[in-house]
Amino acid sequence: MTAPAFLTLDSLGKDYGTVTAVRDVSLSVAPGEFLGLLGPSGCGKTTTLQMIAGFEAPSRGRILMEGRDLTGTPPAQRGIGLVFQSYALFPHMTAAENVAFGLEMRRVPRPERGRRVAEALAQVRLGHLAERFPRNMSGGQQQRVALARALVVEPRLLLLDEPLSNLDAKLREEMQVELRELQRRIGVTTVLVTHDQAEAMALCDRVAIMQGGRVVQIDAPWQAYDIPADAFVADFLGRSNRLPARAASGHAEAAGHRFCLPPELADRQGDILLTIRPERLRIRCERAPESPPGLEGRVQARLFLGGFWLYTVETALGAFAVMAQNTGATPLDEGAAVTLDWDAHSLRRLEPA
Amino acid sequence: MTRLDRLTPALLTAPSALVYAGALLVPLAGVLALSLHGFDFEKGVLPGWGLANYQDLFTDPLFGEALARTFRIAGLTTLICLLVGVPEAWIIHRMDPRWRGPMLLVVVGPLLVSVVVRNFGWMVLLGTNGLVNQALTALHVPGAPFRLMFTEGAVVVGLVHVMVPLVVLSVWASLGRLDPVLERAATSLGAGRFTVFTRVVLPNVMPGVMAGALMVFCLSASAFATPAMLGGKRLKVVSSMTYNEFLNTLNWPLGAALATVLMAAILLATLLWTRLVEKRALRRLGEVAQGGPA
Repeated sequence: MTAPAFLTLDSLGKDYGTVTAVRDVSLSVAPGEFLGLLGPSGCGKTTTLQMIAGFEAPSRGRILMEGRDLTGTPPAQRGIGLVFQSYALFPHMTAAENVAFGLEMRRVPRPERGRRVAEALAQVRLGHLAERFPRNMSGGQQQRVALARALVVEPRLLLLDEPLSNLDAKLREEMQVELRELQRRIGVTTVLVTHDQAEAMALCDRVAIMQGGRVVQIDAPWQAYDIPADAFVADFLGRSNRLPARAASGHAEAAGHRFCLPPELADRQGDILLTIRPERLRIRCERAPESPPGLEGRVQARLFLGGFWLYTVETALGAFAVMAQNTGATPLDEGAAVTLDWDAHSLRRLEPA
Repeated sequence: MTRLDRLTPALLTAPSALVYAGALLVPLAGVLALSLHGFDFEKGVLPGWGLANYQDLFTDPLFGEALARTFRIAGLTTLICLLVGVPEAWIIHRMDPRWRGPMLLVVVGPLLVSVVVRNFGWMVLLGTNGLVNQALTALHVPGAPFRLMFTEGAVVVGLVHVMVPLVVLSVWASLGRLDPVLERAATSLGAGRFTVFTRVVLPNVMPGVMAGALMVFCLSASAFATPAMLGGKRLKVVSSMTYNEFLNTLNWPLGAALATVLMAAILLATLLWTRLVEKRALRRLGEVAQGGPA
């Protein structure tokens, strides 16, 4: 990273009695960056967020914001905007009163407060619902009030704790676009905690994939997707097919099939774990004339995903997930005999997790 | 079939309705009827009907004084119970779960002790030679020993002692329904602990506070044993006057009139309270439609 870090977590750890929730997390977030903490439940991502917010005291390590140690600062004075999974809107206050709360706490004079509340609500396109109580709003509207409430105080850092997971799929996608656009426009440094890899990949500039209280990989989403650090990341981000093989002189062999290795793996010898993404596999009917050799198999199941067909193909090397673009052609039937092939440069080597 | 369906709710509630009618409405009607009869020390209850008893009461300055005292004591008790009980419930709510159970038991403790024993305890403490006065004298507090027994203050202390648990339990129940994340949200927006309590927690547990206040008020206004023991014979409240008419003077019709007036007054106060305060507080929380007044 070239820009000086805005937020730095330095060997952060948290124990609850004998249980270690966060083992060792070190990462930095650049000013204006949108970072995702991604991982399955229990990986320590929420605890990490709670420590940044100040609700949990770290057992080890430091949190630096703009170079200043935050460890002793109480949550009320950290200047951090928070959006919770349950939104946590004050039920006895209207949308406008909810948004005004943080400004009141900062003793912003009334006329300015009113103006800023109106601006914040307009920003999330809720100007017309200012006088409504949260219980009379839809989930998406409550979500946007929560966002306006966190942003109106112009926080230095915005923390989002699974902000979209209570919304239905369609609305979630809309909110993702909106959230991304809003964060870009305001330019506030943002940390998102989520277990939803699609959400993290869609929203974040970089994702930190966590497992067992550690960060396994930090990269731009497409980089992490393309070159996963280990088998865990490969499986957690999208779908992947595993291919255990034996490498020898630029080739790999598995179950009697020989195929080329990419140049960077050409000097590998011995056992090797390879992986390939479903969309990098080509699938074709066996009977196609003059076709190059490939891996033969049989379609076991197929799922229609709109833009794509997802086939499960049983082969001598195990089951493969294959993503085939919906070109309008008749899909392959279940049970059809097919041949799979791929380009050597689509193969990745995995460190076993 | 449809007719039976229509009748089912009525049939199912009939047993409890009957118990209610038999145990509550009939005796109440009896008291009301009794209060409309005259009384003679020679002949007992007179057969004629009239409002003479009520006329007597409302022209008697002693009764006016007792009625005012009853409500003064009940009001003060309610106020102190709220000031003590609401923070107490909040503290217990935030306690480590290991301590919460024992502390709740301590809070409920006064309810487990007989009213007579409890009040004798206060008499020992508050008497002219009681522990409190002994301590004050030993500390050379000017004016000690004070007259603590047989004062409205003593009655209020005795009532608060037993009524606080009602507020604590009712607020505690409301706190349990509060989303704990709300406090974190308020804190992250810059609110201190006190502001979190007054601006976020308290408004959301208002239904519990109101219900507790109402219970304490009604029970304090109709309390008999504590005012009689700690207030003594001269400090009359309406319930002790009623007792006196029924069991000492044996003027049952007058006693019945006293009971009726007390009940009506409490009912009126309750209705006013609900109308003025509770509805307004609950409307904000949107619970009127679902729960109605507690």
